This record gives sequence, structure tokens and C-alpha cells, in this order.
Amino acid sequence: MRENNKEKGDDMSGFKKLIAAAGAGLIMTSVCAASVSASESYDPYSYDRWGDAVASQVGYTAEKSIDGQLINGLYEKVESMEGFDYDEESWKNLLNFKEPSDIYISADDLIYLVDKGNARILVTDLDFNLVNYLDKFNYNGEELTLKNPEGVFVDQYTGYIYICDTENARVIKCDTEGNVDRIFEKPTTELYSQELTFNPRKVLVDKAGNVYVVVRSVTKGAVMYDMNGEFMGFYGANRVEQTAEIIMNAFWNTIATDEQRSHSVRSIPIGFTNFDLDDDGFIYTVTESSEVKTDTVKKLNPRGANILASTVGDEVSFGDISPAYYSIYTKESQLTDIDIGPNGEMNILDFAHGRIFQYDKMANLMFVLGGTGDQLGTFRSVSALESHDNKIYVLDSRKNCITIFERTAFGEIVTEATNLYNEGYYAESYEPWLNVIKYDGNYRRAYIGIGNALLNSEQYKEAMKYFRISISRSRYNKAYEGYRDELMQKYFTPVLIIIIVLAIVISVLKKLNKNGTITFPWQRKGGV
Amino acid sequence: MLDLTQGQFVKHVVTHPFEGFEDLRWKKAGSMKIATGIVVLLFIQQLAYSRMYGFQYYSDYDKIFNIVPYIFRSFGLFLLYVVCNWAMCTLFDGEGSMKNIYIVTAYSLIPYIVGYLVGTVLSHFLIQEEYIFIQLFEIIGTAWSVVLFISAMKAVHQFSFPRTLCLIALTLVAIVAVMFLLVLLLTLFQQVIIFIFTIYTELSYRLRV
Repeated sequence: MRENNKEKGDDMSGFKKLIAAAGAGLIMTSVCAASVSASESYDPYSYDRWGDAVASQVGYTAEKSIDGQLINGLYEKVESMEGFDYDEESWKNLLNFKEPSDIYISADDLIYLVDKGNARILVTDLDFNLVNYLDKFNYNGEELTLKNPEGVFVDQYTGYIYICDTENARVIKCDTEGNVDRIFEKPTTELYSQELTFNPRKVLVDKAGNVYVVVRSVTKGAVMYDMNGEFMGFYGANRVEQTAEIIMNAFWNTIATDEQRSHSVRSIPIGFTNFDLDDDGFIYTVTESSEVKTDTVKKLNPRGANILASTVGDEVSFGDISPAYYSIYTKESQLTDIDIGPNGEMNILDFAHGRIFQYDKMANLMFVLGGTGDQLGTFRSVSALESHDNKIYVLDSRKNCITIFERTAFGEIVTEATNLYNEGYYAESYEPWLNVIKYDGNYRRAYIGIGNALLNSEQYKEAMKYFRISISRSRYNKAYEGYRDELMQKYFTPVLIIIIVLAIVISVLKKLNKNGTITFPWQRKGGV
Repeated sequence: MLDLTQGQFVKHVVTHPFEGFEDLRWKKAGSMKIATGIVVLLFIQQLAYSRMYGFQYYSDYDKIFNIVPYIFRSFGLFLLYVVCNWAMCTLFDGEGSMKNIYIVTAYSLIPYIVGYLVGTVLSHFLIQEEYIFIQLFEIIGTAWSVVLFISAMKAVHQFSFPRTLCLIALTLVAIVAVMFLLVLLLTLFQQVIIFIFTIYTELSYRLRV
């Protein structure tokens, strides 16, 4: 778009050029009109101080998408299986993905892909060469198969693979050969209400060997087992959102009799949908419901308490700030998966808009990628994401492919600057932030970063300038305080001396005036 | 006694909250010009308060600027009050004429305007922690204006104190009623205009065919 305007501009009159430039400027600032980089199939944007979307550069660019046919060795593997018949639909399906539902990259750089529709786990290396193919499991001589599995996890300490065998209501723990070590099933204790079904969707294992399972029908949090497979309780339940209705119900419940209370509606939180483990062993959860705004993203400590709110404040929001408009109806974000990057970045997948939101560890939005569509980099029905190194892998269960996003040069600079900044190296982050602005003048965090670097090196006036651009009032206030102190120190003594001298002169003049020694001009005039 | 010019009377009224307006009424020294000037100042103060406040305090959404709300908040509300108060005082046998109500209401606004203007200027020199000083000016200005305002109403209509309060309350009710009617009128006119426009479009299509 920009190039086009420039080319045309050459044979335009000056006035037309001006209008074209103004128009181009308008287009650049309004998000949906034009994409900054022509290679993306969607319009990259970020948010300004007011939560309005502004055009932005892409931090990640869609590099390629991989479907089943592009996995080296999958065809050969399926072909070599017993009874292979190319003309039969069920065999043909095996040559490709079918509704892939989860992706996990293990510590030894292997990609584990849950191929839900084909009831198998595919293991490939980072170049997509098939390494392992898990569809049959050996449990003490008995052969187990999967039914619509939805989650996979690899324990980096023991190397065991955990698979959510969703429709079969169990979690399978096995080694790379498919030998089952243990099966986690529906707890039989009273704590787990027996009317509830047990459909495990996601699983993860912490350092201590505790197994956490997200079960679809359970709203009390993740089902937690110890390393011996004993049910230990629930972990990290969401809070109930404080709506007016719920507060009213709570009020009525306090004055109601037990009989009445048993008939009233109980307020039940919405269970979280997905989780991930970061390098420090904290569990992050996301809640998919578009109905609630509380606890959509949480960082849980071992006790199950949300510590994200205490580190970054309660006012952060995740996903799209304002709902996106699709012709006639609006869509709220539905956060369906979360992945924690090596520096604590949170990559959050939004099912409703097919977008990936990347936040830094302080929950500041870094990039927004993706969108709905059919081209590379856009999605139909996203199901999972995983990040590795400088790449983000996104799974689309309708397009049956993995899309790989790779960090751009811009993304590298922003990441570098953000990491330095979050570690407290303000001065060191100054240069990278300046570079960020060169790429993207709308990137608000860069101005704050520069401002803070300047503030730390006591260049208050410059800092004020940048805080003013980024519209951050309290930081500006701090810089202004420093600036004012500086002025005071500089000018306090001379100003004081001038005031004292003036006071003395005036009092002397007044005294002389009283004595009649001198008369002021206005007295002369008025006296006549 | 009290041989003051119209301009000097403004100062006298503001600094003598209890007998100032009585004197003003007695001497018939109120000036429409000065009163109008004060309302213009009110408009400027409203603008300054939301647009020129110190950056460390002020962070309103400032991407769009619409002057109509400011006009309404100063001129509109002021005139509405004057008209409603006059309408109410005729029911209460108040002695104020529309002109006098206009003048004294404007005069009584002076401390409020000054307080907020001073606050706005100060906001450029103080930091967030010192907001209390700005607040001090704003609160004193407002309180002073309220005292002047009640005194002005009392003097201009020659009412007792409770009766004055009653009148002010009723005036506020009247303002709400008038605003409601205005909105209603506006919406109705909108409908009428849309109706006429629809007929026009319909006709123009038919003529073309």
C-alpha cells in the first residue's frame, strides 16, 4: 500500500500528493485498512494507551505450514503396516492428520503431536522426520488403543510420555516403546463426585512427579495425582466472577433457611481449559469461556493460588481488548491454550479469532499474530500452540496442519529489549528500544522503556518527553518530580537572593516615600 | 456610601457574601456585560480544566475533541438555570427579574472559576503527591461560590433562607424536566426529518424511473 502511493505520487500535483500522504497516514493509523508488511496475510496490530488498536509490525512471520504428507517417513510407516489398502478411507486418513488436538515439544527437541481423529501420537524431530509412531500400547500383555486423545506431555526428568486418552477416560503413562507404566483413572474417593464423567483433556507433570489432569466436567480445578497414581485432590480452581447476580444470591443465601438454600442455584466457577508449565515450575492456566473475565489467565504457585495478580496487578486483561466485529455479531476472545516461552513470555491462543497473543512475563502485550482465514498464517479452528526457541507452532484442527511462525528481526529486537527491561537493565535496554521505535513508531512499550532508561540515568527532561508520548501519567510524574528538584537546586539560591533584595528595596522605597523624600509617579498623577 | 463603579461592585459582592448582593440590588449596579464576561470565563475554565491540565494529573481520552459538551456545560447550563429559576420564582412571588437573576448567578460563579483556574495553573507545577494543594483551591472556590450563590438567590428574590433553598431545589427539578423535554423534542424532530427524507428518496426514485 505504501509503495503504491509512493509510485503514484511522482506524477501527482503537489496538492494531490499532500492529500495522498494524509490519506496514507490515516490508513496507516487505522488498523483494518492496511498491513504494514505486505507479506502477512492479516493486519498486524497492537494496542495504544487507550486500548485502541493501532497498526504494528509483526514480531513473528508465518514461515510454512506442515500437514501429514510433509512429514518424512509417515507414508512409509503407514504403508508398511499390516493390511494397508490405499483405496480404503480409514487407511487414507492415516496418511494425513485428522483433527490434531495437541502439540508438545519435549526437552530433547522432539515434537509430539496428538492426532485425535486417527487416535495416535506422532513423534517427529524439529525437521519433521518421523521418529516414533504410537498407536498401540502394551499394558501387562494387554493391547490398548486410544480413542479421541486430546493431550500429551513428556516428563523431562523421567522421559515418560503421558497421554490423555479422552474418550476412554484415562491417562496413559508410557515409555517411548509404548509400554504402559501406569494408568490414571477416575478417582474413586468421595471427593470426586461419582456422577461426573472423567474425560481428561490435558495433562502435565511437575518436578515432584505430581500429575495434573484437566478434566472437561470438573470445575474445581485440575485433578491431581501423586507419583504413585493416588488421587490427591483438586488444584487451582478459578474464582466465581463477582457479578451482580452472584452477589445477590450470596446475600439471599445468608438469610435463607437450609431448606431454601438447598433449592437455590449454586454459583460454580468455570473450570480452566488448558495449562502449561514454565521453567521455574509454575503452572499457568487459561480459561476458554467467553462469558467470564476473571481468572482467564493465571499463574499458580504450588499451593494453587494465583500469583499473576500480585506480580502485575489485577487490571491486566488478556486476549482482544475490544471484541472484534464480524459482519453483524461480535466475538469475545476465547483463550484455548497457553505456552510459556524460555524468557517467561506467555503465548496465548485465542480460539474465537484464531490469533496468538504474546505477552512478556509482566503480562504486557508484545505481539498479536494470526487471524481467521485460509491463507498461510491464518486459521480456521486453532486447537493448540507450542513455542520452541524463536518459533511458535500452531495447530489447526480444521485445516489439519501445523503452522510455524518464526520471529522476525523486529521481534528479535523487541524480545531483547523486553528481556533486558524486565530484568531491570534499563540502561542496557535503551539502545534496543530506540531500534524498536525505528521499526514501529506505534510501539508504546518502547517509549516507556526509553523513558525509564533516561529516568534511571537522571535525564529527567528527556524522560518526560518519552513518557508524554507513551501517555504514562505516573511515570511522567516521577520524571517531573526529578526535573523540578533539579530546577530548584539550580535556581533556588539566585531566586531567593533576588526576592530578598527586592523586598529590601521596596521597603526602603516605601519608607522614603512616607518621609516625603521621594514620590512615586502614580502618586503624582493621582494627586493632581 | 458605597459609591462604587460597576467593576468595583464585582469585588465588593464577592468579598461580602452576606450583604454584597443586597447592596448590589439596592444600588442596581449589576452589569450584563460583566456577567456575560464571567460566563465566557466559565466556558474557558471548563475547557482549560479538561484540556490544559498538568499532564501528570490528566489522562483523558483526547484523540477526539468536541466542543459542544463544553458549550453546554457552561453557556447551556447557565442559561437553563436562569430561565428555570425565573420560571420558578414567578410561581413563588420572587422579586428577581430575568436580567437580575442572570447577573447575580454569574457573579456568584466567580470564586468557583478562579479556584479551578488557579488549580489548573498549579497543576503544571505540582506533582501527584501534592494534589491536595490543588484540591484546596478547588474546594474553597466551590464552597465560596455556593455561599455566594445562596446569598445571591436570597437577595435577588428577597426570600427567607429556607424558601431560597426550596427555590433552588425546585429549579434543579425544573432543569431536569426541561432537559428531558429537550431530548424528547430532539428525538421527535429526528423522526420527522427521517420521515421527510424517506419521502424525498421515495419520490426521487420514482421520478427517475
